[in-house]
Amino acid sequence: MRAVERLLSRHKPGAERLRVLSATGQLGYGIATESFERGLDRHPHVIGCDMGSIDPGPYYLGSGQMAAPQAMVRRDLERVLCAARALDVPLIIGSAGTAGAGPHLQATLALLHEVAQAHKLPLRVATVSSDLQPDQVVEAMQNGRLHALDESTPGPGLPDAQVVRSCSHIVAQCGSHTFMQALRLNPDVLIAGRSCDTAIFAALPMMLGYDPGLALHMAKIIECTSLCCEPGGRDAMLAELGAQDFVLESMNPALRATPASVAAHALYEQADPWQVDEPEGTLDLRQARYEALDERRTRVSGARFSPRPSPTLKVEGAARVGARAVLIAGVADPGLIAMLPQALREVDQRAHQLLPGAWQMVPHIYGQGAVRPLPAAQRSAHEVGLVLEFLAPEMELARTAAAVFKQNLLHFGYPGRLSTGGNLAFAFTPSECEAHESYRFVLYHLLKGVDPNQVFLVGAQDWS
Amino acid sequence: MSSPGAPAPTALKHLASVVRSKNAGPLCLTVDVFFSDRIAYERAVVSYGLSANAIAVLYGVQAGQVRRFDLPEIMAIKLAMPRTLCAGDPGDGDVYGAQQHAPMLEVLL
Repeated sequence: MRAVERLLSRHKPGAERLRVLSATGQLGYGIATESFERGLDRHPHVIGCDMGSIDPGPYYLGSGQMAAPQAMVRRDLERVLCAARALDVPLIIGSAGTAGAGPHLQATLALLHEVAQAHKLPLRVATVSSDLQPDQVVEAMQNGRLHALDESTPGPGLPDAQVVRSCSHIVAQCGSHTFMQALRLNPDVLIAGRSCDTAIFAALPMMLGYDPGLALHMAKIIECTSLCCEPGGRDAMLAELGAQDFVLESMNPALRATPASVAAHALYEQADPWQVDEPEGTLDLRQARYEALDERRTRVSGARFSPRPSPTLKVEGAARVGARAVLIAGVADPGLIAMLPQALREVDQRAHQLLPGAWQMVPHIYGQGAVRPLPAAQRSAHEVGLVLEFLAPEMELARTAAAVFKQNLLHFGYPGRLSTGGNLAFAFTPSECEAHESYRFVLYHLLKGVDPNQVFLVGAQDWS
Repeated sequence: MSSPGAPAPTALKHLASVVRSKNAGPLCLTVDVFFSDRIAYERAVVSYGLSANAIAVLYGVQAGQVRRFDLPEIMAIKLAMPRTLCAGDPGDGDVYGAQQHAPMLEVLL
């Protein structure tokens, strides 16, 4: 009997609470061993892990690379897979390989397969593929089914078809509906491509008949493990779900889930603290209640889920900008600091005369407003850091541009210059570095009125 | 000049227990401010410095683009606004949006 079937046939809501263990909110950065093992001692009915996010930026989706180091991903997969098999409970992993596109899902599956082979664990693995083809998105756009995320405020509208076709990967976030379909294939392990964080933890409880509002609210909180605690942490988090409420407890005894810390977590990374949009509907937190059960545990109730008539999917797409070289240097001369933007413009003109081609320099002047605009009075006058990006269709041109720019800035003769030895301080040489490829998001939109079954591919494989 | 009995203007960093920023998706920036005492929270809620209009000016976004949520139960104020650049676009200096809270610290209440 497979793990999902075992749970569905044996767990009776009402007879006991469903224990959901969130092992990690970022699989691949090292699951804390002690707290995870404490969670296992509580005999969870299911172990879930979130592996992805859009936070790290467009590079991962665009390139197909994982953000987490491969050796750590393997380590974490080994921990959670061996634990789930030892307890014979389902293991559910969402947003495989950071961005959840095809290459991310395949790389995660390959590592899981390695672990399963090494430990001689026969498995049924269900998968969800979340990729969209550019033509699907273009067609949806032409049929009026692609929408800006927030149509009430001006913002980026719809991209044109050519830009959509330039995306190297496009994914949609699958929801609980799709997770349930994959779970019906009765796997031991479910690995999904790009997913709503909530689906990882809410789908199985909803299949068991738990209230969707409670299940989704629980999922929304525990997908970040112990971040909802005081102090926040990365340790495994246990939720015990009942018919009327759920109870939250960190598996690190030093971390306390208090009503205030849990309620505050609802604000985190959310534009609206009272409303969470899911593909299948909206989670309303206005009536949510948080009560201390004791010093370390909080009981949560009251969230309501309103389904919408047809699902809305969040779509993400990234396209290549070019290759990136980076020049890193410091400037300490107050005369040059005072006129740095102008100096960079002049050197940029010279360098473009010397080196024609489709390259561009993007400056980040630390100390002068690189992180956010700074009023003149707050800008550093004694030392600034330069991080200059050079973007070009090919790395060779980007690196050449960085080198030419560097030498011309080093010896740029600006008015009033006293220091003729050189304008830049290098912490190391070569000071120009190849810094991967540059991508940008061209899609972060809503796809409405589509059948999720036409978007997400659900399948299963048996590994002996 | 402040009226008799009114507290002297105080920077937010001296009144709040948490001031944080983070993306809510690559197009949206959110700023959360938490207080540990009711008096400070009530003072913040009615202050001009934390009004949606004042925050729009502070962050260089259009008036009307800042949404504010008051959460008295947990003594928190949440602000949400569009990012001036999509996260990770060339020229963006803060992909996660995690250091955009800085100008809030000096807001006078």
